[in-house]
Amino acid sequence: MERARRGDLDAWETIVRTHQGLAFRTAYLLAGNAGDAEEAAQDGFVKAHRALGRFRRGAELRPWLLRIVANEARNRRRSAVRRERLALRAAGEVRPGDAVPSPEAALLAGEQRERLLAAVEALPDEHRDAIACRYLLGLTEAETAAALGVRAGTVKSRLSRALARLRETLAEEGEA
Amino acid sequence: MTELELRLEELGRELAFPPAPDLAPAVLERTMRRPFFWGRVAVAVAVAAALSAALAVPQARTAILRFFHLGGATVVRVETLPRTTERSRATGLGSPVTLTQAERRAGSRLELPPGQRPARAFVLGDSLVTVVLRTDGKTVLLSEFPSLGPGSLRKLTAAEASVQPVRVDGAEALWIEGPHAFEYFGRNGFAQAPVRVRGNVLLWTHGPLTLRLEGRLTMEQALALARRTR
Repeated sequence: MERARRGDLDAWETIVRTHQGLAFRTAYLLAGNAGDAEEAAQDGFVKAHRALGRFRRGAELRPWLLRIVANEARNRRRSAVRRERLALRAAGEVRPGDAVPSPEAALLAGEQRERLLAAVEALPDEHRDAIACRYLLGLTEAETAAALGVRAGTVKSRLSRALARLRETLAEEGEA
Repeated sequence: MTELELRLEELGRELAFPPAPDLAPAVLERTMRRPFFWGRVAVAVAVAAALSAALAVPQARTAILRFFHLGGATVVRVETLPRTTERSRATGLGSPVTLTQAERRAGSRLELPPGQRPARAFVLGDSLVTVVLRTDGKTVLLSEFPSLGPGSLRKLTAAEASVQPVRVDGAEALWIEGPHAFEYFGRNGFAQAPVRVRGNVLLWTHGPLTLRLEGRLTMEQALALARRTR
């Protein structure tokens, strides 16, 4: 980071390549479509480079970058016509190391995931975003707060309300 | 973590994200279009002018390798230095004036090391003030101009010159050793032709001023003098 602050573009490129995957996925979940997500992530990195001088020494880089990229993504969502529906990977796609379930178990698990995803998508935006950042992307609470531009306490309360809402929805659908 | 939270994490791993594009080439290209700067206001127009001026010099067109931006100064590392002239002893520093007149024309008080207040100063392009000082048994030039004023300083460094980030009282500074040239763009379209620099140079900012120290000093000597300059 120090090298990047001093103008070393190789160091900056390393930072971009290290964080671009998560930055894009974060922007995708917040902006709602791949085109806006790519623009938001790219603009976010360019703005972050311009703001390197204001980066507090000793602070964590990832939440700082995510805050900038997520802000770009949220701005785009406000003007976006519609959000693409999130989708699950095809049933046949198995990650390396995964146990291969029986066809019946895979079908059942797939249906449960589809219901859970639909319930997440039906949440109000601020609850959905909190769930998306914290659990779907696996960000820490601090990173979620940075990405959403809110305090950590606000993230906790939004998550709590969102989880309660999801439990209610799933219970109504017959899932415990 | 509750079962629902674990299920949500699992859901995240099962999401079909679009393939992540490689953002680095576009980000770097856009980054290169702008100067690097350390938290100070970017004078985009000045740097665009500096870039276009660099591109207009055939010898410098080979490649612009890197930008550094500090206060009102831009350092451009190029593969080949442009054609330069030796600085004229008579007029290369600008018009000789008294220190008071120089401060009036520059619009701010000059920063000087304690005990050094030369009778004469030189003003180039109405805003770059230079004084000649003696320190550590050597003659050095101390130049100052407002960072956000009408003037901008451009240094062109050859690929073999070293540009080292250093600090003066906690603020970013640049130490330049090796072949380089400098140009100054002042008020009313004033532009000084590239001048070859023989010594080493320390560039730093203090308050609203960008300062430049040139001479055959070591980096430690230059930094010590810069820290005393107030």
